Amino acid sequence: MNTLIKNVSFQEWISSWNSGKITAPEHSTNYLDQLRTNAVNHIAALKFPSTRDEEWRFTDITPLKHAAFKQPSAATELTASDLTQYFIDESVIRIVFVDGQYMPGLSSTAAQHGVTIDSLSKLVATDISAVTQHLGQIAEYHNNAFVALNTAFMQEGVGIVISENIVVDAPIHVLFVATQQEVTACPRCLLVVGAGSRITLVEEYLALTDCAYTTNAVIEAQLADSANVNHIRLQRESREAFHIANTSVQIAHAASYQSISIALGAQISRFDQHISLADQHAQCSIDGLTLISDQQLADTHTWIDHIKPQATSRQLHKCIADGSAHAVFSGKIIVRPDAQQTDARQMNRNLLLSDKASIDTKPQLEIFADDVKCSHGATIGQLDADALFYLQSRGLNLASARNLLTYAFGAEVIDFIPVDSVKQQLADLILAKTRIH
Amino acid sequence: MSVALQHLVNQPYKHGFVTKIESDTAPKGLSEDTIRMVSSKKNEPAWLLDFRLEAYRRWLNMTAPAWQNVHYPEIDFQAISYYSAPKSKKKLASMDEVDPELLRTFEKLGVPMHERAALAGVAVDVIFDSVSVATTYKEKLAEVGIIFCSFSEAVHNHPELIKQYLGTVVPPGDNFYAALNSAVFTDGSFCFIPKGVKCPMDLSTYFRINTEESGQFERTLIVAEEGASVSYLEGCTAPRFDTNQLHAAVVELVALDNADIKYSTVQNWYAGDENGIGGIYNFVTKRGLARGRNSRISWTQVETGSAITWKYPSCILRGENSVGEFYSVAVTNNYQQADTGTKMVHIGANTRSTIVSKGIAAGHSNSSYRGLVRMTPTATNARNYSQCDSMLIGNKCGAHTFPYIQVKNNSAHVEHEASTSKIGEDQLFYFAQRGIDAEEAVSMIINGFCKEVFQQLPMEFAVEATKLLSLKLEGSVG
Repeated sequence: MNTLIKNVSFQEWISSWNSGKITAPEHSTNYLDQLRTNAVNHIAALKFPSTRDEEWRFTDITPLKHAAFKQPSAATELTASDLTQYFIDESVIRIVFVDGQYMPGLSSTAAQHGVTIDSLSKLVATDISAVTQHLGQIAEYHNNAFVALNTAFMQEGVGIVISENIVVDAPIHVLFVATQQEVTACPRCLLVVGAGSRITLVEEYLALTDCAYTTNAVIEAQLADSANVNHIRLQRESREAFHIANTSVQIAHAASYQSISIALGAQISRFDQHISLADQHAQCSIDGLTLISDQQLADTHTWIDHIKPQATSRQLHKCIADGSAHAVFSGKIIVRPDAQQTDARQMNRNLLLSDKASIDTKPQLEIFADDVKCSHGATIGQLDADALFYLQSRGLNLASARNLLTYAFGAEVIDFIPVDSVKQQLADLILAKTRIH
Repeated sequence: MSVALQHLVNQPYKHGFVTKIESDTAPKGLSEDTIRMVSSKKNEPAWLLDFRLEAYRRWLNMTAPAWQNVHYPEIDFQAISYYSAPKSKKKLASMDEVDPELLRTFEKLGVPMHERAALAGVAVDVIFDSVSVATTYKEKLAEVGIIFCSFSEAVHNHPELIKQYLGTVVPPGDNFYAALNSAVFTDGSFCFIPKGVKCPMDLSTYFRINTEESGQFERTLIVAEEGASVSYLEGCTAPRFDTNQLHAAVVELVALDNADIKYSTVQNWYAGDENGIGGIYNFVTKRGLARGRNSRISWTQVETGSAITWKYPSCILRGENSVGEFYSVAVTNNYQQADTGTKMVHIGANTRSTIVSKGIAAGHSNSSYRGLVRMTPTATNARNYSQCDSMLIGNKCGAHTFPYIQVKNNSAHVEHEASTSKIGEDQLFYFAQRGIDAEEAVSMIINGFCKEVFQQLPMEFAVEATKLLSLKLEGSVG
C-alpha cells in the first residue's frame, strides 16, 4: 500500500475516497458554481504535500494520505439539546456546522440590524455583492491543495456580512461539530466586516466521536476601513482526527484584527494563517497556544504580509509539548518594498516537558524596505530552575510548582481572550492538562 | 533615503579583473576521463582517484539545489574546464608597475608592505626574500611538528593522514557542489597540528610556499589532534581577482579531544559591476567536526565580495562539552546576493554554540541569514544562542532571516533573536553636529554594528576588515 500511493497526485488521493472522479458542478453562471468548477479543474495540477515540500518539511501527513475518507453523508440527527453544553453564555448569534455542513436548524441567527448571516448558496443567489466580491478571493487556492479541495467541495458554507458602523457586542459563536467517522468535512466561512464595525468571533472545533475523520476548514475574512475584529479559535478535535485549516484575512486602512488560536486536539493538525495588511495603519495581533501530548503533531504556519506603509503586527506564539508530541511553528513576516515604517514584532516560545517531545520552529523575516522596525525571537527550553526553586522554597512541592509554571506559561496567551466564559473554560482545561499524572 | 547615503552606496568597484594568465588547460567538459586525467596529471595514488570517481558517480545522480534565496542562470558544468596547470603569473619587475589604484587600496586597508607586493603579483624576491620568509616559517612550524602545505604535497608526503581524514566531515556525496568538488578538486591546503601543540603563529594561505592559484575547486583540510590549537586565516582583505566564475570549495576541520580550531575568512572577490554583470559565484561547503571532548571550532567570516555568496560554515558538535561558534559579517551592494549562515548540530552532552550574524544590504542587493540549530536526543543540557541583525541601506535591497530550530531534547536551551535596522537621518545629523561627515559617520555606525564579529578576528585582520567595510561603502561624499 505504501509504495502504491507513494507518489499520488492530489487528485488521485481525492478520487481514492471520493469513489471515482471529482465532478465539477454542471455548467452554470452562478458565482459559487463557477468558483467550484475552477477549483475542481485546478486540483489536477496540485500534488499531495510531502515532507519534501518546504512548507510541509516537518509535518508528515502520510497517515492522512493513507486515510481514504469519504464525503460525509447527510448530517446525523442532532438536536440543539445535544450541543447546549458547548454553547457560550455570552453568545446570541450561533452558527452550527455538523460534519462540514451548515445547520440552520441548530443555529441561532436572530435578526440584528446590519448583520446578515445565511448559507453561501443563498447569499450568492440573492446576489449579495459582499459575498461575490470576496468569496474565494482571499483564501488563495492555486498553491494550496487543501484550500483547493475545500473550494471544490464547498457546499453549505456560511457567509457573515456586517454592514458599516455596526457594533455587535455579544461574540458570534461558530461551532464545527464532528459526528461521523472516516469522513472528510470541508466547512467554509466568509466574514465581511463593513467600515467602522466591530465584532468578536469565536470559532470552535469539537467532536462528538472519538474516531478518525478529517476536517479541512477555510475561513476568509475581509475587514473594511477601521473595522475591528476579535477572532478566537479553539481547536478541540478528537484525538484521532486530522485537522487542516486555513484562515485568510485581508485588513484595510486602519482596521484592526486580533486573533488568538488555541490548538489542543487532533492526531495531526495543521493551521495556516495568512494575514494581509493591505493598507496603511492596518494592525494585527496574532497570538497562539499549542498544547499537545502523547503522539500528537500540531503545526502552525503564519504568514503576515506588510503590503502598505505604517502597518503594525504583533505575534506571540507558544507551544507546550509533552509525551512524544511534535510541535511545529513557522512564522513568516514579509515587508514589501512599499511598506515603509512597518512595525513588526514576533515572538515564539516553546516549552518541552518530556524527553521524547520535539519542536521545530522557523521564524522568518523577509524585508524589502529600509525604514522599518522588525524583530523576531524564538526560544526553546524547559521550566526555569530558579523559578521552580523559588516556588519550592515557598512550600510548594515540585509537582505543583511545575504545574503552576506550566500553566502560567500557557496562561499568558489565554489571558488575552476577551470572552470571559471562553477564557475560564480554557484556563480550567489547561490546568487539568498540565497536571502531572 | 538621503542623497548622501545614495552616493555612498553607489560607489563602483574599482579594480575589475586582471588579465588572463596563460595556462595549460584541459578541454572543457566533465567525464570520468577528465577526472582520470586530472588525477594522473597530479600523479595521484589510486585511492584518491577512487575517491574522486565515487564522488563523480554520486554527483551524476544529484540535481543542483534550488531552495536557496539566490538567483543565477543555470550553470553548464560541461562548459567548464576542470584542469588548469598552475603556471606562474607574469611577474612585475617592481612596485612601480603596479596599478596605482590597487596601491591606494592597499594603503587604505593598511596591508603590510611585503604582502602588498605578493598580492599585486610583483616578483616578491625583488623586494623581499620570499624564500627566506617562507623558510623561516616552515622551520618554525616543523620544529613543533606542524604540517602545513598544499594539498597535492600532502597527498604525496602524508598520504596516511589524508586517507584517514579526507571526506570524514564532508562526505563525497554530501551535497551537489561538495560532490563536484570531491570529484575534480585541484589543490588547496592541508594543515595538521599534532597532539598537544599550540601553533605558534596564525597560519595563513599567504605563507604557504605554493602560492599559485589553487583554482576554482579548492580543498582544505585541517586536523587538530588532542590538545592542539590553531588559528587559520583564509583569504585577504585586498580584492582578489579570478577569472573563474564558479567557485565550489570544500573546507573540512577535525578537532579531537581538547583541540581548538579557529578559522577566519575575509572574502573580497570580484562582485560584478554596478549592474550585476559578472562576479564570482562563491558556493562553498565548510564544516567542522568537533569530534573530541572539550573541543572547539570557531568560524569567523567577513564576506564582502562575490556576486553570490552561498555558504554555511557549520559545526558538528559530537564530543561532550564541545563548543561551536559562528561570527559573520556579510556586506552586499549593487546586485550582490548572499545566502549565508551556519548549522550547529548538537550531538554530545553539554555542547554549546553561539551564532552572531550581521548582514548589511545596500543598493539592489539581497542578504539572507539561513541557519540551523539542531538538538538531537543525545544533546543533554546543550545550549545555543543566536543573534542575527540586519541593516538595510536604501529601499531597493532586501534582508531576510530563515532560522531553523529543531529540538529533540528537553534539557536543551535555544535562544534566537533577530532585528532589522537602518542608519537613521538623526544619527547622521548627530555626527554632522560633531563635525563628522556622512561618509565617516556611516563607516563608524557600520563598524559599531559589526564590532562583535570583528572582535573575533585576529588583530591585523580586524584592522583591515574595518577599513574594508568603509571602502566597500565608500562614496563621493566628504
